[in-house]
Amino acid sequence: MVYQGEFDILTSQYNQFIPIGDKVAQEVEKSGIKSGVVYVITAHTTTGITVNEKLECLEDDLLDLLAGFAPEDGTYYHARFLHSYGAMAGNPTGHMKSMITGNHCVFPIVDGKMKLGAAQEIYLGEFDGPQDRTIRITVMGEK
Amino acid sequence: MKSLVIDSHVHVGFFEEMNISDQQHVYNMNMMGLYKTGLESVQGLFNRCDYAGIDKVILLPMDLTTTTGGCVGTNEQVKKLVEEYPERFIGFASVDPNREDALEVLEYAFKDLKLKGLKLHPSKQRFYPDDPKMDEIYRMCIKYNRPVTFHGGMSVEPDTLSKYAHPMRFEETAYRFPELRMCIAHFAWPWVQEMCMLMLKYSNVYTDTALLYFDNAPEFYHQVFSVDMGPRWIERTFRHQVMYGSDDPRLEQIRMIDAIREMPLRKSTLDMILGQNALAFIGSEV
Repeated sequence: MVYQGEFDILTSQYNQFIPIGDKVAQEVEKSGIKSGVVYVITAHTTTGITVNEKLECLEDDLLDLLAGFAPEDGTYYHARFLHSYGAMAGNPTGHMKSMITGNHCVFPIVDGKMKLGAAQEIYLGEFDGPQDRTIRITVMGEK
Repeated sequence: MKSLVIDSHVHVGFFEEMNISDQQHVYNMNMMGLYKTGLESVQGLFNRCDYAGIDKVILLPMDLTTTTGGCVGTNEQVKKLVEEYPERFIGFASVDPNREDALEVLEYAFKDLKLKGLKLHPSKQRFYPDDPKMDEIYRMCIKYNRPVTFHGGMSVEPDTLSKYAHPMRFEETAYRFPELRMCIAHFAWPWVQEMCMLMLKYSNVYTDTALLYFDNAPEFYHQVFSVDMGPRWIERTFRHQVMYGSDDPRLEQIRMIDAIREMPLRKSTLDMILGQNALAFIGSEV
């Protein structure tokens, strides 16, 4: 069977990594699926989903790495008025960082629980915040 | 002591707390020309403000009764938001000047709803600021000691002709009503030099920094404030007349205030632009 869920997170920083493993685990539990996989997918193009060790130092190192990759004072084509939005496109760095981190991750479900490695945490990467963000969960497997 | 930071230019019409119907949401998007702007909680705005170091925002509704039969945020909705979040919101009123009951609506907004100023959009509401029919509205503002924020210069909203908001159409008002504090928003872009002329001649004329139409915020502000204008004009001459405004949710509240903070200004000038001038403009307790 397939379970579809989602949850929202109101972010608080322009750039930040937010641990979401607990919320994903709750969705897995809600699905009732005992054996299968869970996909964690962001609904946005200036966020990312990534997996890493939950340490403040690493979160800051990763943010610094991404900031070096896509500096705020870089010359981007995506700095112009977008008629389809009626608004400025001022977030090229968010799009670049989103490309690097990717839009999803996947984990196995065993005995009804998401199986993370001992050091693993699932992160929502916010790269154009603060904003209201939606994370979609797809659980596939057997009850 | 930290100086108060005020975003003097924030539009209402997309807050979940306003209980906006789907139909009204579509209307607001179409009227504002913000075609992909979803609803958000006021907490979403507060998070952006907290991150940017903004203490308060001025909420601007828009009454379009005679042109499209609706409002992008009503005066009553603004009043309710201010009542619920007095520490964050300063509410302005809007009235369509072409309404037959415009004066009654405005007096009610000032006297009963206690709104702190008036927002007018000449291009969207289809009137010339120097039209004699506007005199009674300006007199009402003076009577209640309330300022007016006009949209100035080009508007990217649909169905807006720039001729209505050309800065030269504001001079007669500034001249004839020296007690009226008036903000011609967006630096009246692209007529920046004309805007500077008005501020030079009339101390009751203010403007705001809600302009970003090309490039990114630092590049565009450099172009406007250091190339189109002399690089020291704000610091030397207009430091009491320029207010920080973001045009949220259209432009970029965070990146624009960051760009202003990076401008080569005295701290005292920065404090004026970021909040003190807005307090003087409002002219009453917030």
